[in-house]
Amino acid sequence: MLRRAVLQTFRQGLAQSFFKRNAVSLSETTVTHQPIETSDEADEKSVSKQKPGDESGNTVVVAPPEFRFMYPEFLPDPAMERRNRLKEKLERIDMLQRRSVVEIPEFYTGSVMAVTVADANSPNKFARFVGICIQRGGSGLRAWFILRNVVDKQGVEILYEMYCPLIQKIEVLRLERRLDESLLYLRDALPEYSTFPLDMEPERRLNNSVVPINPLKVKLRPRPWLERWERQNLQGVEDLNLPQRFYDKAEKVAKPWEKYDLMLQYRKTIPAEEQEKIFADVHSQLQQQEFKRKIRRRRGIDNEQ
Amino acid sequence: MSTLGLLRTLFNSKIVTPNAIQLQSLNRSPFLVGLFFNHEQVRTMSRVKRRTTHPPYWHVLKNNQRQDEKISSDNLRFVREVIQDKYKNKSPIKGSDLDIEKKEWDPKTKRSGVIARNIGVQHMWEKDGKKVVCTVLHVLDNHVIRYVPPEEYAKSIIGAKVFRNRKPLGCLVVGAEAANPDRFTRQYCSLFNEVGLLPKKRLARFIVTPNAVLPPCTPLTAGHFVVGQAVDVYGKTIDYGFQGVVKRWGFKGGPASHGATKFHRRGGTIGTGRDKARVWPGQKMPGHMGSERRFCRGLKIVRINMKYNVIYVKGTVPGPTNSIVQIFDTLLPRRKFTEAPPHPTYFPPEDGTLPQEDIWDSNMHVFGSPSISV
Repeated sequence: MLRRAVLQTFRQGLAQSFFKRNAVSLSETTVTHQPIETSDEADEKSVSKQKPGDESGNTVVVAPPEFRFMYPEFLPDPAMERRNRLKEKLERIDMLQRRSVVEIPEFYTGSVMAVTVADANSPNKFARFVGICIQRGGSGLRAWFILRNVVDKQGVEILYEMYCPLIQKIEVLRLERRLDESLLYLRDALPEYSTFPLDMEPERRLNNSVVPINPLKVKLRPRPWLERWERQNLQGVEDLNLPQRFYDKAEKVAKPWEKYDLMLQYRKTIPAEEQEKIFADVHSQLQQQEFKRKIRRRRGIDNEQ
Repeated sequence: MSTLGLLRTLFNSKIVTPNAIQLQSLNRSPFLVGLFFNHEQVRTMSRVKRRTTHPPYWHVLKNNQRQDEKISSDNLRFVREVIQDKYKNKSPIKGSDLDIEKKEWDPKTKRSGVIARNIGVQHMWEKDGKKVVCTVLHVLDNHVIRYVPPEEYAKSIIGAKVFRNRKPLGCLVVGAEAANPDRFTRQYCSLFNEVGLLPKKRLARFIVTPNAVLPPCTPLTAGHFVVGQAVDVYGKTIDYGFQGVVKRWGFKGGPASHGATKFHRRGGTIGTGRDKARVWPGQKMPGHMGSERRFCRGLKIVRINMKYNVIYVKGTVPGPTNSIVQIFDTLLPRRKFTEAPPHPTYFPPEDGTLPQEDIWDSNMHVFGSPSISV
């Protein structure tokens, strides 16, 4: 019974991941706001969310399924040769320790963020950079993200390691998602799509419970490009207007069978049962940290008053 | 005397490290290298067998051939009860229980080493923000199995080789990773009969001075080491299998294009044709690569977690993830101990107080502490 339920959630999870991560399938359905609950909403939900009991009759607290998109770096690298449960557990403890000192907010590719880093060569000893997150990756303490901006007509990208102790503050100025998981094509796009004012204020969202998907289609500069964008099934790019031979070659080179390859997906992801265990472990600690931060913020407001 | 004969006499001197048994290695002093080898490869090690798939002939047969024994569940339960009765938990050995009089530590003491598993690599940061790649080593459940005194060890096969020209030292046999006796042969389990411990999957020998002797059944933990000390780690390197000349020896191969016919990753010429008129022994060719005994010397310990028995060591260690390694105090002369370490090993305090769970080096940034401001 339990096994079937777990398999079901695994398949659902797979389907969800296909829907959310595979940009191809997104185009086939109508583009709607796929609601991804924010951490606030998820916290409220998770208090009451409990599995319908395992064999012993005890209720098991489970983190909401959105956690694997909100905190993907808690999942280890799926390569089996290099996995070790004890090391992952110790790494997670260290990550939570670091998160108790610095708030690392939920963000996605396409969100505009500001990062303050300690820098010996800056006048104020701190350097603040604002940019759009074009890519994120890494697992554990090696998690990183790249911010891009255009400063004085020069495109600038900075890779930040999320758990580096030099980082003083990470703010999300605009929390949103784009149609693709990786926005590297912004390097070949017109500069206006990568420009964000360095003194940008954090935007307040009207609907706090849903992370919007920005259906923006970006215009690319004329060729030559850094990569063969026509071969990558990009959703967030306007019609490339290339001669037909490019699309023919792209079809020849394409691997359309990969979206049916379940074993490939299995090898690239951590199994659903393990994910549940990891996030259940992490979820309670993150909740506590969020709670303490809220109290501190409220106390700060009261002190100001 | 032929050049090769001269080379052999010069380079037959044995450089053997005190804490482990090593094969003959070459004396590569810079003077001699310049004198003879500015244009030749070193070929005297070519005939020595570097690795085998079988253990030495004096080892006892270890693993049982698994047979599909059709035992009923009742009998299986009975067998398990018998095993549990036989290997009942012994009371932990305290420092005050040591039979051998606790001798003082001196700078020439050689302590025991420890068997650990390399469980992966973690990034940590120093206090100035510099990133450091650290290897995580999990100290398994080590127990001392037996002690072989110096006189007896000097008579054994390995001991005779190691101590041919030196004063002999004793040998501690340490085992790690207790396992079900079912999977081992009777002869292998008999090695542990004296001690009364569950048979261990892994055994290792550590050369110790007589004042660092430990009684059998003593547990060795991560507390055996001190944060900030330098250690040597022995392991078997990653097994790459049969590899070509480009990966194995770093040859450049041939051009990828410009008309090169079937010559992209090959070795090219293997001899001159005139002098000696044959292929010299030791000619670099494709073959098995990896799975070799190697030491990484002088690695600094940056953090010890006493609760999980885990050591974080700055740098990388030979071997793949989840492989077994051995950790010793370093033999590099400038990084040895100046103060006494836990000698002969660490024993938890007898008043029952728990040690500090997570000990960090003073140079490292602790994760729970505030962000670094330069």
